[in-house]
Amino acid sequence: MTSQYAAELCALLVEDNFGELFARIFSTLQRYDRLSLPRLKFYSRLSDRQLRHGLAAMIQHHLVYHYTSYDDGVTYYQPNLQAAYYLVRSGKILEFIQERLGKYAATLMATIMFLGHAQVGYLETLPELQPEQPKTNGVNGEAEGEKTEEQMNGHDEHSEQPALLHPTLKALASHGYIFRVRDAQFQSYADNALDAERAIKSRPDVKQLKGKKLDETVLEGTVTLLKERLDGDLTRGLMHNGLPRGAKRRHANGSMDAPNKRSRVDYAADEDEEEEENEWSDDDMGGDTTPMELGMVVRVNYEKLDVALRNRRFLDLAELSSSPATRQVYECLLRRIEYQTKQCRDSAEIPREGEEGEQYSVPIALSALTEEVDPQLDLTGSIGPMEISQPVNRRGKRPLEDSVNGTDRDGSDAPSRTYEIDQHLSLLSQPPYNLTSKRMLSGLITWTVEFRHLARKLRHLELERMIEARYGDVALRVIRVLHAKGKLDEKRLQEISLLPFKDLRQVLASMQAGGFVDLQEVPRDAQRQPSRTIYLWFYDPDRIRNSILEDTYKAMSRCLQRLRFERNRLKEFLEKTERSDVKGNEERYLSQAELTLLDQWKSKEALLLGEVARLDEMVAVMRDY
Amino acid sequence: MSRFGAKKGRKLPGAEFTWEASDPSGEPDTAPTPLFPKYTVPRARPLTATEQLQVDLYRTLRERFHDGPYYSILEGAASASKKDSAARASFDPFHGMPSYSGKYVKKKRALPRILGRQYVMKFFPRELWGTIQPSFKPDAAMDGYVPQGARAGVKRGFEDDEEEEDEETAKRTKTGEEGEGAEGDDDGEGDILDEEEEGQGEEEIEDDDFEDDDDEMGGDYNAEQYFDGGDDEYGDDGFGDGGGGGDEDTY
Repeated sequence: MTSQYAAELCALLVEDNFGELFARIFSTLQRYDRLSLPRLKFYSRLSDRQLRHGLAAMIQHHLVYHYTSYDDGVTYYQPNLQAAYYLVRSGKILEFIQERLGKYAATLMATIMFLGHAQVGYLETLPELQPEQPKTNGVNGEAEGEKTEEQMNGHDEHSEQPALLHPTLKALASHGYIFRVRDAQFQSYADNALDAERAIKSRPDVKQLKGKKLDETVLEGTVTLLKERLDGDLTRGLMHNGLPRGAKRRHANGSMDAPNKRSRVDYAADEDEEEEENEWSDDDMGGDTTPMELGMVVRVNYEKLDVALRNRRFLDLAELSSSPATRQVYECLLRRIEYQTKQCRDSAEIPREGEEGEQYSVPIALSALTEEVDPQLDLTGSIGPMEISQPVNRRGKRPLEDSVNGTDRDGSDAPSRTYEIDQHLSLLSQPPYNLTSKRMLSGLITWTVEFRHLARKLRHLELERMIEARYGDVALRVIRVLHAKGKLDEKRLQEISLLPFKDLRQVLASMQAGGFVDLQEVPRDAQRQPSRTIYLWFYDPDRIRNSILEDTYKAMSRCLQRLRFERNRLKEFLEKTERSDVKGNEERYLSQAELTLLDQWKSKEALLLGEVARLDEMVAVMRDY
Repeated sequence: MSRFGAKKGRKLPGAEFTWEASDPSGEPDTAPTPLFPKYTVPRARPLTATEQLQVDLYRTLRERFHDGPYYSILEGAASASKKDSAARASFDPFHGMPSYSGKYVKKKRALPRILGRQYVMKFFPRELWGTIQPSFKPDAAMDGYVPQGARAGVKRGFEDDEEEEDEETAKRTKTGEEGEGAEGDDDGEGDILDEEEEGQGEEEIEDDDFEDDDDEMGGDYNAEQYFDGGDDEYGDDGFGDGGGGGDEDTY
């Protein structure tokens, strides 16, 4: 992702979040890529103090890689574009965590993000992570009585505070959303690879090898060593029967409790969560109460979160064409798979179209899935009658047969339930999306998800959506024909797509101008006469994906620039609202007109940021999934 | 100009492959494009509840970054502007005067505040350790880690002249920075940090000055010729006994 607009976007994001000093350092590093401190000072025209402080803080936030070379002892700095880009996804991630693990987990996550990386011991001391926090906020300026009460509570507060923090941390860690920071993560991937290679090559047993064998051993050793050094995985020790902590409880409690609890968490967060914590520790195992190591340093694991967000995207896709019950079954399957998936794909770059091998997810046994699915979920309501096994939804006849079936099956509950879940999953495995696929593993029915296929599908859908929006449905049809059939002569294309000659010409020409389709000339003789040349239209999704990605980066950075401009226009006013006396009690100090202005500004900013978030979704589909 | 023996009324070869979208089969359209064509501006959908929540969370986090110790701006710290040129010229006489409500205005940092939390030293490069932990002595061994001597003296031929330039700019920025540091103190933030850091900075400046003295005065002053050089002139005067400034003072 080293392109002009990606670089611009990253610099803007850094500036939006951390201010101009960071942005200056970051963009200088981006321009020159790898600089030692004196060189950086020269190019960025910053003072020594500014640079040193800035760099230290940026390393804390993983925005800068550093590497001290063995040869000359000079430390080089390099920008970390990926980390800068992920700043834009923070809102999405926090919202996801909040939905999955509750409000406190989201607060904890936000704190870790705020700190860059943090020691567990340090997190313990932070006031905002104390469970009493929301209460004091709610009470605000009220009487002293509350305070004394709190002080009375204060004694056991100390004992229960780690009890809240540590299980949440553990839940996050066992889901893989946070992981341990390792030294090697502060160096860029290339530096690490070179280092590992050097280490392998200097081993005595490798030194004796020669030729092809040497290359192979070095390559293999490098990969394993890299994995070992970069690996900060925390899930291993914390998984319990293949399930992370805090995940099981939700289903064990039954469906009636779930929505209930979520709403409770919203207003009266503290007491309920205490209760839940106890539940967790009782529920899962005795070992839960042991706190995490205090010295451990944790940070956000964006790769894993990408997996989780991708699954969410698949769920949305499933929701389009199937019932809520099916969606819920699918959610269970995806969640089970998510626990065992570390990253979206093995290769760093998305492979070219057609060259991508299928990479199946972990198979999940049907029986395990049956346990996972909420027992009170109505599975029968949304699929057709069971006797005639048919995968297609037959909505019309359902109600009558349903009741009959329901009474029938009450006697033999368990097996039929498994069968029903199987039915739901085979419903999902139907074209056009093929969201699941069934495999038999040593006689056991298991279900998997073909992630590569689905990610490709998402990309195509996104491109098709865009083409339809820009050039209309005729263009969409042409594109689909070209995609299915490969390169086509104009005449053949016309025959297949059943379009009048004129329309086709128009649409193709305008799409070529936009870069979505292109022409290939195949001369029939050596003279390359136009009359004796075949012209083939083709559609190359890879090429278009790249150009669209660039366009998206550009659009995002333009949104952010616009936001900056709008903010400058209202600068005086916004500074006033940020004054320490005004902030928090706007109603008291601002006039009616100012209040409406503030509201307008907030919604405008939200719209622009929301747009950026939507574009980020596209980037995720095109680049990350 | 005729090509390929084009006849009247017949199309040029290749005309059917025209680029014009409007008229694929006939003559190219040479009419001017309308000056202000109708243009439908696409409008974004309003945010859904989830998106709104995401945006709000993003904003809260950003707000936290802004209030946090690292958010820092460049204004006022622009070391290029001297005391009485650019900064003074752009002074706003209406809003720039200090007023009572000024004490509520959000203070802006010119330098990230590093102190005030613990860091894991091993994650940072050695040259920043002094910044992160002012008490850190570069020579002392830390946690059993014996520092290897910084091999700064070794230069790789090609960057010689650049480095000199660097030193010069470094000096310049350093002197600029002192003034700045004082300004920072006026703002009343990061005070402890500033002092300590300044001490460090000054040391370095002295170092530089010393080196520079060597360079600049090298031509004029030569200790070995101190007596010989003077003797020629003063010898003629007849005050040959002492030679030098001391004697002249007694006059």
